[in-house]
Amino acid sequence: MGLLRKLRFYLDSAMVVQLLIPVVFFGLFLIVPLAAVAVFPLVPGISGTTYSPLLLFQDPSMIRFTSTRPSVIIRQVVMGGENLTLIAVFGPNYGAIPNSLINSVVVTLGASIFGLVIAFVMARYDFPGKMFFRVLAMVPLLLTPFINAFVVRKMFMYDGIISYFIHRILHLSYIIYVDYLAGVMIAQVMTFWPIVYLNVYASMVQIDPSLEEQAENLGAKGFRLFRTVTLPLSLPGLAAGAAVVFIFSLEDLGAPIAFREFDMISFKIFSGLRAAITGEVPPYVASLSLLLLALAMVAFLAIKKYVSLRQYAMVVRGGRWFPRVRKPGVIGAVLIYALILPAMLFTAFPQIGVFMYSLAERWTKTFPEGLTLRYFSEMVSNPVLFTSIKNSLIYAGSALAIIVLLGISTAYVVARGRIPGLGILDVIATSPIAIPGLAIATGYFLVFSRAPFKGTLLDPFTSGPWLLLILAYAIRRSPFTIRAVYAGLQQIHEALEESAMNLGASRWRTLATIVIPLLGLSILGGALVSFVYSMAETSVSVTLGGIESSQRPITYSMYEYLYSGYVEGPNLVAVMAVFIISIQLTVIVVTNFILKQRYAFIGV
Amino acid sequence: MVKVVLKDVTKKFGRVVAVNKVSLEVEGGELFTILGPSGCGKTTTLRIVAGFEFPDEGRVMFDDVDVTFRKPYERGTAMVFQNYALWPHMTVFDNIAYGLKVKKLPKSEVRERVMGVIELVGLKGLEDRYPLQLSGGQQQRVALARALVVEPKVLLLDEPLSNLDAKLRVKMREEIRRLQKRLGITTIYVTHDQEEAMSLSDRIAIMNDGKVVQVGHPREIYMSPGNLFVATFIGRSTALMGRVVEVSGENVKLDVGDGVVIKGRLARGYELRTNDEAIAIMRPEDFDLDKPKAEANELSGIVDLTMFIGAFNQVKIRLSNQSFKAYLDPDIEVRSGTEMTVYIRVDDVIIFPRRGWEEIEFEAVA
Repeated sequence: MGLLRKLRFYLDSAMVVQLLIPVVFFGLFLIVPLAAVAVFPLVPGISGTTYSPLLLFQDPSMIRFTSTRPSVIIRQVVMGGENLTLIAVFGPNYGAIPNSLINSVVVTLGASIFGLVIAFVMARYDFPGKMFFRVLAMVPLLLTPFINAFVVRKMFMYDGIISYFIHRILHLSYIIYVDYLAGVMIAQVMTFWPIVYLNVYASMVQIDPSLEEQAENLGAKGFRLFRTVTLPLSLPGLAAGAAVVFIFSLEDLGAPIAFREFDMISFKIFSGLRAAITGEVPPYVASLSLLLLALAMVAFLAIKKYVSLRQYAMVVRGGRWFPRVRKPGVIGAVLIYALILPAMLFTAFPQIGVFMYSLAERWTKTFPEGLTLRYFSEMVSNPVLFTSIKNSLIYAGSALAIIVLLGISTAYVVARGRIPGLGILDVIATSPIAIPGLAIATGYFLVFSRAPFKGTLLDPFTSGPWLLLILAYAIRRSPFTIRAVYAGLQQIHEALEESAMNLGASRWRTLATIVIPLLGLSILGGALVSFVYSMAETSVSVTLGGIESSQRPITYSMYEYLYSGYVEGPNLVAVMAVFIISIQLTVIVVTNFILKQRYAFIGV
Repeated sequence: MVKVVLKDVTKKFGRVVAVNKVSLEVEGGELFTILGPSGCGKTTTLRIVAGFEFPDEGRVMFDDVDVTFRKPYERGTAMVFQNYALWPHMTVFDNIAYGLKVKKLPKSEVRERVMGVIELVGLKGLEDRYPLQLSGGQQQRVALARALVVEPKVLLLDEPLSNLDAKLRVKMREEIRRLQKRLGITTIYVTHDQEEAMSLSDRIAIMNDGKVVQVGHPREIYMSPGNLFVATFIGRSTALMGRVVEVSGENVKLDVGDGVVIKGRLARGYELRTNDEAIAIMRPEDFDLDKPKAEANELSGIVDLTMFIGAFNQVKIRLSNQSFKAYLDPDIEVRSGTEMTVYIRVDDVIIFPRRGWEEIEFEAVA
């Protein structure tokens, strides 16, 4: 009775519509496909057979107890008349499931340690060139789908830049070659550590300096101070960053493809779905997707719970404080410039390499050679590439329209609707950050290519995948906008809306004349970020996106041109990556300097 | 002129009872103030009248119409918010015109009425400014104008003056009073400032802990507080504890220690018997150095502490084992440690049973 009265009071037509938009959209295009991923492995399967998830554990390509290859091979070789020791690092291969788990754990640890150290240095020290460090830390987040890992592999070939550095510059008689699982780990740590850095940094600058000063006042200093006060207070940021890295690492495709590590969960799903373009979805795909989804969701929910538990309510003093920043000592300065700077340059190298690649005639040996702009003109004149760029702009633009609608509705309902149970909608609306795109792709395959959707616009086999791509982009990239709008709404005092309704304006009118005009910039900022990440979406694009050749998105073409053996392919892909980066940089400049907002990088 | 009636209104937020069985009748055209300390439920009560909250129990009536579950935009109230809630993306004119545009009035009429109200509240020439370009007092006027221009059935004011400086507050107080009388709109005014409440209200409801503890005219509330909370919350007060030695009708004699007996009148609605523990509440400003003509108490004690405030001398006088506070003529110098005698009229001493005293936390009482 009480609930009914409450609903009758708070639900007017505007609120009902605002509530229905996210419920229907997330329900139909997120919950239903994911439910299909969860249910299909358990009921009579896609090709009429039951494939129990348990069968995964009897398949030696999924899990085995002995590695199929040695992790490290050391061998004497002769190169250019010199006797050298070749160290080949491959990492073990215990099958897709252990491989993915080992990889994600190692990558999460590596990225966390590296990100934590950099965050501490950036948050607590002031030194010449700090601005450069800050920019450098963002470079690995520049979007370079597929080509990023491709360049990392080039660096770690036996004639790559790393070997050149060891052999030619340090004059050691060693060369190094990294491939397979070990390569995946290195490439992912290089790409993902800034996610940890950004989250931890945000935590650290929020620590009230008096908390650290009090500890020093009581005699704690150095590592003890860090361990007992600074680190525990930064844990929410560390945990959030680590969880995101864990999930991203699990679903990443670029590195496993580049390093030929085909025994990984993500690659197995990818290849299975690609096989489905011509034939049937292999029975294990749904089971693997379910496993991937389950792992990601466990990480996501654990972190939601943990971070909210750890949200230390710090006693905030009146007035603003300045974070504790000090000059490093001699040893500190040496560490910063001699160790941290080279390490950061190293992780930024793939993006730098992509730029060089786009301007180089060729890059077959250690370094790129020859300067040319001809690949830029070729990208525009190549009809296949041009079409896929145009397609992606259309898809991302259409997704943007949905995202704006979805973002306003969801954020408004969560922020303003006083209806019990809205917390669930909030969790669902933020979850796409943590949901592997491959699970969504699998779900769309399972749901929309059969009745009741068979033959409709949603069926990728009759209408092509364009609509599903738009929907997938909208779902996967909506959290950026939803969170930006939500943050904007929290800045708008509710009394501004109440006074409009009090003067006789309906909720619709209040939305149109008060809320949306005041939210304008938040919506725009979030939408721009959503747009960029839609353009660079890979998981759904390289699976569903391949069904109809005329409808391929840009990232599909990037994958194809990189690995189809076309000689000039990588050059063209580098040019396309530069194109995406330039859109991203434009968005960063617009959000930061024109809209005065923080560009939303990834984080839970 | 609409009469507003609240019948047994109760509102809970989780386990907290914000408003507890509140019943009020606000007459048409009246300026009715809800006064109480922060957290007493006064703003929630106002928001229930506006329709931003709905009560868990009880009814809200405008004349004979039950509006308990009407949406805010179906009620015809107009509220002035504590923070004014001016829309930063609209000019002064557009802010004020909003309610009229919503009603789809013809443009010429909107313009006429907006300019009229702008003149009324003294904002002429500022109609094209944005709220952020205005001073606090001007913003306050815009908020008031925006509410008045729609000619609301009920005007609701939620601590409208609390963000202004002291002098401006007094000025706006007078202006609100003047406008309200002139327009004759039923008005509910919420504040925690008793001086504000006393000076501009036709009637006041005092709330504490979600309940209405007394309703009455300002004078009535000041002169005959209905209970200890009101007696100590309104105005300054000082107290002496004692034991009842004699009750005859309204008149009570209280032994406050060492054989000193105070005479006073029994608080309305209470009963006392000989030997009951009781408390005498007095206003410090009611003490006199000369014996008044009316029947008065004569209290002699040692001066404990004296503070020169300017308009008066605050003197703390020790009487056996307790002390009381008196505001005396500032021209007369009083020294600590000397003995002095003050007078207070019997009618100015109100005697309450002591029960409930410990729950009152006001330091105004000493």
